[in-house]
Order: sequence, then C-alpha cells, then structure tokens
Amino acid sequence: MSNDDRAPTAPRRDFLGMAVGASATAVAAAIGYPVARFVEPRPMPSSGPTLVGKVEDFALGTGKTVLVDEKPVLLLRSADGHFRAFSAICTHLQCVVGYSAERNQIECPCHKGVYSVEGVNIAGPPPRPLEELVVSVREGSVIVSEA
Amino acid sequence: MMGTDGQGSSWLGARIGWDAIRATLSAQRVARRNFSHFLGGITLLLFLLEVGSGVLVLLYYRPDVAQAHASLERIVGEVPYGDLIRNVHAWSSDLLVLSLVAHMFTVVVRGSFRSPRELSWWSGQALLVLCIGLAFTGAILPWSQEAYLQARVGSELARYVPFVGNWLHHFLRGGDEVTSSTLQHAFGFHVAALPAAVTALIFLHLFFVQRRAATTPRDDDAPTMPVYPDFLVRQAAAWTATFVVVMTLAIFAQRSVGVAADPRLPSVVGARPPWYFLAFHHVVRVAPRDLLGMDGARFLVAAMCGVGLAVVALPLLDRRGSRLTAYLAWIFLLACALLSAYALT
Ligand code: HEM
Ligand code: FES
Repeated sequence: MSNDDRAPTAPRRDFLGMAVGASATAVAAAIGYPVARFVEPRPMPSSGPTLVGKVEDFALGTGKTVLVDEKPVLLLRSADGHFRAFSAICTHLQCVVGYSAERNQIECPCHKGVYSVEGVNIAGPPPRPLEELVVSVREGSVIVSEA
Repeated sequence: MMGTDGQGSSWLGARIGWDAIRATLSAQRVARRNFSHFLGGITLLLFLLEVGSGVLVLLYYRPDVAQAHASLERIVGEVPYGDLIRNVHAWSSDLLVLSLVAHMFTVVVRGSFRSPRELSWWSGQALLVLCIGLAFTGAILPWSQEAYLQARVGSELARYVPFVGNWLHHFLRGGDEVTSSTLQHAFGFHVAALPAAVTALIFLHLFFVQRRAATTPRDDDAPTMPVYPDFLVRQAAAWTATFVVVMTLAIFAQRSVGVAADPRLPSVVGARPPWYFLAFHHVVRVAPRDLLGMDGARFLVAAMCGVGLAVVALPLLDRRGSRLTAYLAWIFLLACALLSAYALT
C-alpha cells in the first residue's frame, strides 16, 4: 500500500469510475424501463358485437356512418333491405370515407379515392378494398361485429 | 433602476450586486454579428410565449373528446381576452417553427455545424424534432374535424418511417386507432412531457453553444463587442420586434377553432396540413401510386427520412462546411417554397 491513501492509485480510480458508471446505468435502466412500459399505449379492448340501432333507423338504399369502438363504420342498406358494413377508413391514408347516394358509390374526399358499394377500390389512390364487418339483425336491432 | 450605468447604489442594485454583474458582462466580449445570429434568441422568446400562453389556456381547456372543442369555443368566445391568449398560442407556435427552420438554415449556410460544434448541431436537431412533436400534439387538442383528420393522416404517414414506423404509428395514436386515448395521450405530451424535455434541451443547447462561442469559421478575426450593453441591447431589440409581430398577428388575425370533430362525417374536402408540411403534402398528392416498386407514399416518407438522417449527420458528411452544402440548402429551400405555393393553388 502507498503511504498516501488520500489519492487513489490509477487502477483503484479506474475501478471506482467503473463502479460509479455501472451504478448510474443500473439506476437509469431501473427508472427508464418501467417508465417506457408505462408510456407505451395499451391495446384497446374490443367491446365485441355492438348494437348500432334499429332497422328503421336505416332507410332503404342509403348509407349511414356509425361508431363502433369509437371507429367510424359505414352501414349500407340496399334497396331490398340487405345490410353491409365497411370500416369507413380509407385504405390510402386513412381519411374518413362517405357514401354518395347520387353516384351510388363510396367516396374519399382527401385524394378522390372511390370504392364500389361492395367496398372494392375502383378509382384513385386507395390500394385495397375497405375492410368489411359482419352485420346481423336480431329482433329488429342492427348489430355490427368484427369479421 | 438597475438599467442605468453607474447607478449601483440603487435599492435593488445594492442587494443583487449589480455593479459586479455589470463589470463581468462588460468584460466579456462576443463577435459583432449580423441579424441571423439573433434567430436562436428569437426562437427562445417564442418558446417562452408558448409556455406562458399555454399555461393560461390550460386553465379552461378540457382534454376530453366530448368537451375539448366546446371548452376551446368557451375560451375564445367567453373568457375575457381568451381569444387574444389563444391567438398568441396559435401564432407563436407557427412563428416558432418558422424561426427554428430559419435558425437551422442560416447555421447550414454559414457552415457553423462543423467541428467543433457538433454538439450544438445535434442538440438543435433534437429541439427541432421535439418542437414538431409539440406542434403535432397541439394541433390534435382542439378536437375539430381538421384536428381529427390530421391525427389520422399524420400518424398513418408515420407508419411508413423505416424500421420504427409501426411503433411510431401506435405511439402517436396512443393506441391502434384514433380515439379518445389519442387525445388524452397527445394532451399529456403537449402540456407536460414535451415542454419539460424542450426546456432541459434548451439549457443543454445553450451550454454547448456557449462553450464553443459560435463565431462562424470564416470570420474568426471578426470585430467583437461587449456582452453588456452592446449585445444585450441588440438582443432586447430583436425580442421587442418579435413580440410586436406576435401581438399584431394575435390582435388582428383571428385563428379559427374549426367545427367539433365527428368521426362519422366524411373528411373535409381539400384539407391541408400545417404550412411546414405543405410541400410534402403536395408531393404525396401528385406522386404515382408506385415508385420504384414501392407504395408511393411509403417511398416518399422513406426518402424524407433519408434526407433527415443526412441533415443530422451533416457535421460528419461535410467536415469543412463547404459551399456545396450551402447551395444544396438553398435549392432545397426554394424547392419547398415552390411546392408549397403549388399546394395552395
Ligand atoms: C414550443 C411549444 C409549443 C408549441 C409549438 C405549441 C403548439 C400548439 C398548437 C399548434 C396548438 C393548437 C392551437 C390551435 O389549433 O390554435 C396548441 C394548443 C394547446 N396548447 Fe400548445 N404549444 C406549445 C407549448 C404549450 C405549453 C407549454 C402548454 C401548457 C403547459 C400548452 C398548452 C396548450 C393547450 C391547453 C392547447 C389547446 C388549446 C388550443 O388548441 O388553443 N402548449 N399548442
Ligand atoms: S386518404 Fe382516401 S384517397 Fe387518400
């Protein structure tokens, strides 16, 4: 041992430096990891089949947008009373689409995307058909559920 | 008053030791420089105005999808001077982005990013990213039709960022979809996490700049001036002018609050992003669906990320602060200006 024990020797100083660095890293990780996990958004539980209204709320040959789990869903009712439901979110850049009764098609105002009433992309930038949802009618109530 | 020279015996001056402070500031000298060197200080003032007006708006704003827009209408319609304070917040946010971009641009053209100023450059880049984050989250808070649309499309484009896109998309939405969680998440980041991070980074940035007194490499033998009074008087003049511009806009140019968001309504026809994304918006709009076998929008986002990375790596790519970099910066700026003008027609 040196007789000056106030000035650590170089190896001892290296060791202390490493110990301080390692502890600081450990503390940063112990704080950082839980915080990162906390901030990470939670998956939204789906509420399952959703009652969106009575059959009479949907006129024949028109479309109406309803909310399912806060997401817009376009319900189309054909002239013969048959229902179909599509996610109203454009497959291009996710604007909200609407039904045009005049042209009997689904239109996206953002970049002039067009879908048929079958949800198939027929013009403009959309790369894919609209996502379809399942509609069932039980005792006069219209119920929408994910496919 | 402590402003007058030689009045160290004033009541306040005696208590804070003004004479000693003044002596230190007069002894320190900085380079005598042109207006572009005051853009950083202007940006700082605009941030402080954002904090001040933001804290006030926060007293009435309600971060809830059912109430957000109505609370904003109450702020601008009923609360005394609410429209003024909200206008200050909205206008300074635009001017803040403008002065940040101008600040960065002049740094590039002067070549002041190069060694040994890398740390100033990188801390500045981080500030730019965080301020764009503030603008993005702030634009969601009114929960108007435009806000809802911007949250949808902005986060969707973020999905195309290479490697981290899916994570970023999920993170910006506060979930998989744009819902009430998106507003809640954006609110927390906008009023707490991001302002705190920006404040910390501003200190770091100023520290780095201060340690490497940011004179341009080309005029190392430029004339200097004392910090007090010459430099501080100029800084105060720049701040006063900025304040006058903000107040004039806030008083005479009302910012709209839009109509409350209804996710069931089709998106607004001809909606546009904030002005600093107009050029990109226009390119995405006119680009073909396929570019080099990739989805058009995905390709463009990846290309922009490439440009962004090159900008961050600038001190490593261009070690001398060459003319070429300055010319490229000018071309990029002019191209963006032209594209933005097209986007408006
Ligand atoms: C650099 C800093 C900031 C920027 C760039 C910024 C940007 C924005 C933007 C663009 C909006 C939307 C305003 C509109 O549509 O008119 C907004 C709203 C808002 N901001 Fe900030 N902001 C900043 C700092 C803050 C701070 C520090 C707070 C509070 C602590 C705050 C609180 C709010 C609130 C409550 C709203 C909603 C009311 C409204 O939309 O006018 N902001 N912000
Ligand atoms: S988002 Fe629908 S066409 Fe672009």
